[in-house]
Amino acid sequence: MNIVECINVTKTYRQGKMDVRALGGVSLRIKKGGFVALAGPSGSGKTTLLNIIGGLDAANSGSVVVEGRVLDNMTQTELAQLRLRKVGFVFQSYNLIPVLSALENVEFVMLLQGVPAKERLTRARSILDDVGLAGLYERRPAELSGGQQQRVAVARAIVSDPAIVLADEPTANLDSKTGHELLEMMKKMNEQKSVTFIFSTHDRMVMDHARRLILIRDGLLADDQDRDP
Amino acid sequence: MYFRLGWRNIWRNPRRTTVILTAIVIGVWSMIFLGALMRGIADQMIQNGIATLTGHIQIHHRDYRNDPAVENSIAEPAPMEETVAKLLPPGSHWSARIRVTATAANARHADGVTMVGIDPPREARVSFIGKAVREGRYLRDDDAFGIVIGRALADKFETGLGKKLVLMTQDTEKNIASRAFRIVGIYGAEMEATEKQYVFVTLSAAGEMLKLNRGISELSILLPDHQLVAGTLATLRGAPSLRTYDAEPWQNLLPLMRAYLEIYDTFIFLWYLVVFIAMAFGIVNTTLMAIFERIREFGLLKSLGMKPWWIIKEVLAESFFLLLIGIIVGNILSFLSVLMLMNHGIDLTRFAAGSEFAGISRVIYPSIYGRDVLLANLVVFILGLVVSLYPALKAARFKPVEALAHV
Amino acid sequence: MKTRWLWNIVVSLFMIQAGGGVIAAGAEDGRAIVQASFDYWRGKTSVASVDMTIHRPDWQRVMTMKAWTKGELDSLVVITAPAKDRGNGTLKRRQEMWTFNPKVNRVIKLPPSMMSQSWMGSDFSNNDLAKSDSLLNDYTHRIIGTESHEGKKVYVVESTPKPGAPVIWGMQKLRIREDHIFLTQEFYDEDLKPVKIMTARQIEMHGGRLFPTVWKMRKADSKDEYTQLVYRDLVFDKDLPDSLFTLSALKNSPR
Repeated sequence: MNIVECINVTKTYRQGKMDVRALGGVSLRIKKGGFVALAGPSGSGKTTLLNIIGGLDAANSGSVVVEGRVLDNMTQTELAQLRLRKVGFVFQSYNLIPVLSALENVEFVMLLQGVPAKERLTRARSILDDVGLAGLYERRPAELSGGQQQRVAVARAIVSDPAIVLADEPTANLDSKTGHELLEMMKKMNEQKSVTFIFSTHDRMVMDHARRLILIRDGLLADDQDRDP
Repeated sequence: MYFRLGWRNIWRNPRRTTVILTAIVIGVWSMIFLGALMRGIADQMIQNGIATLTGHIQIHHRDYRNDPAVENSIAEPAPMEETVAKLLPPGSHWSARIRVTATAANARHADGVTMVGIDPPREARVSFIGKAVREGRYLRDDDAFGIVIGRALADKFETGLGKKLVLMTQDTEKNIASRAFRIVGIYGAEMEATEKQYVFVTLSAAGEMLKLNRGISELSILLPDHQLVAGTLATLRGAPSLRTYDAEPWQNLLPLMRAYLEIYDTFIFLWYLVVFIAMAFGIVNTTLMAIFERIREFGLLKSLGMKPWWIIKEVLAESFFLLLIGIIVGNILSFLSVLMLMNHGIDLTRFAAGSEFAGISRVIYPSIYGRDVLLANLVVFILGLVVSLYPALKAARFKPVEALAHV
Repeated sequence: MKTRWLWNIVVSLFMIQAGGGVIAAGAEDGRAIVQASFDYWRGKTSVASVDMTIHRPDWQRVMTMKAWTKGELDSLVVITAPAKDRGNGTLKRRQEMWTFNPKVNRVIKLPPSMMSQSWMGSDFSNNDLAKSDSLLNDYTHRIIGTESHEGKKVYVVESTPKPGAPVIWGMQKLRIREDHIFLTQEFYDEDLKPVKIMTARQIEMHGGRLFPTVWKMRKADSKDEYTQLVYRDLVFDKDLPDSLFTLSALKNSPR
């Protein structure tokens, strides 16, 4: 089952007086449970593609379908709803709300979704345990290391059972050991809970871990290596 | 949740928050405290005016107010006094007076004064003079030649108890009437101008001197509660035996004071406005700074699926707490300040001449009106939230992609 | 003006010279002395030119006036010099007084409040002129001694206000010569401290009578502040019509 489908997606944006073509007609399909890396040099359009898939940005032409929903003509409100319920984001940095504890950060999305308090607490605790942060529930982001912060971000991204988790260069700010640990953890989540992970990266290590590697260059697909059956 | 976020967010930058809180506290304090002082001044002015012979309502001959001369007296006051006695609410007091301008002279000094012929026991219940005598004694019914003058006048004339004072004025036959009185008492009043102006003799002495027979210049009425003025006035004006006379409330009798009161009201209003505008700028500025520092965070929130309306609520929650704390502390400070001044007031005797000119008493006490406090608080709170909408809307409009790309 | 009992005195002097004897000589009573002076001037008229000098420590002002009196109740005084004050005048008829100022061309009736003000800027008050018979009626008089002046006997009279009399003075001390000439009038306050003093000197023949030429009113505590009247051209008993003591006469300054 295809959880994400892009059909001839283009994106052009204005920079100063120039029109820059970020994506020039990208089509791809991603299956549920995938662990996919979109790789390419900076400026290749990978982040743009990720944003469009996640409903953070809109394509100029073409179609995007996420778990059967067509994003093309969705209003801002509908997109927000989509992001809330169906998409989890992990960014390179500044993933967490600084004034909330790890637990609260994870609870946050569930709160927006209207999950009752008791359930929120249980699930949040549980997921934090899963990502290896048992006992650090009350710590504020400032009291956690870079790696730990990213783990909380991942926990938050997956706690609400999204269709896809989009991670934009999640290891970029971490040292190789921590990055490696993070990736291992994400892979485990992917395998245990069947959560689809889509990365945008130019980190060799991430590319190696990915089971499917899509190369993007100058806004177009350059290569697609799928190791999944 | 947005309250929790709002609360925690304002303490991210404690110094900035303290600064804006201080601004709000000072703003609120100044609105309430200065408002209370102004009200205190106004209240005292009113009380003073009413006590200094004006009373709540006065009844005169039609032409008396235009020309307070002896010709414009109420020649036969008896029917009117009967009616008044019947129509006034219980607990009221009233007193008849003869009031004309005269010249007072002794061997060394002469000056214009207002001679007031009073009915001593009744007058004591209506105006200040009954309790105001500081030296000597108050007038008695049988004082044919006794006079009570103000301390400032006694000083000016270099005279004192037991000495002579000759009053000269015009009688009803247009002749010069003069009479030598002896000072039996010296009174003190709120304002020096009062002491220099009014000299008191008995009604009968004045009537005899002016050849007025039973005539009087005015009837002054003191009601038990000044809220009753409007109603009582209407009743009196409707009475047939009073139709040929003029019944006026204190507001009309003291137009200068009325003008002062209106000036004070306008001043308070302008003060509130200015203070609020200054605070508003502070609030908007602080909140704008706070959200611009967190652009990326707002991008994050949006990416998590937060709706713009929620973001507005969160920013408003931050302002909400700032305003709440500021208002509470400001109110506490105000009440403390007022409490401190309740007993001693602010002593303006150094500025006595100037403050008299502005109609202010020598010592001013603040006077808190619940209505004013409520108004000040509501204004700050509601308008504070309203101006916070501007930064809130700005925050809600950040585009996630651009915001996230922000440093 | 004080001219009232001045005329009284002069006429009584005339009577003396006519051999009628000194009226006061027969009555030791203080009141009689004062009464006689007042009585004497009923129905008498006078016309005079007077120079008035108002003197202060720093400056001095001189005015010339023409004065007509009839009896003790009516008088008209008009300033004739200097030019800037010419035409200003005061009219007194019985108890009422009016002033006129040609520059403003208005006649103002003096209200009670102005009665204590100074007359024409001098040390005399309007009251001094208007209530001239107050001295007679509002006081009790007592001879307290005798002196002599230019060979004549002078009665020193102490005048005390009657209780209830509307006069501002506590006491007055008069020095009246046996020929009815007022030499001195001292005004005292209630504490019997002197406030102002009027003296009349240089008694000469005028219009056939002895009359003080120089009158001076000064404040008791200052020798440098006074008003001085010097009489010239004094004529008595001329026939003066009633129309002279009217408001129109006041405005038109008769010659």
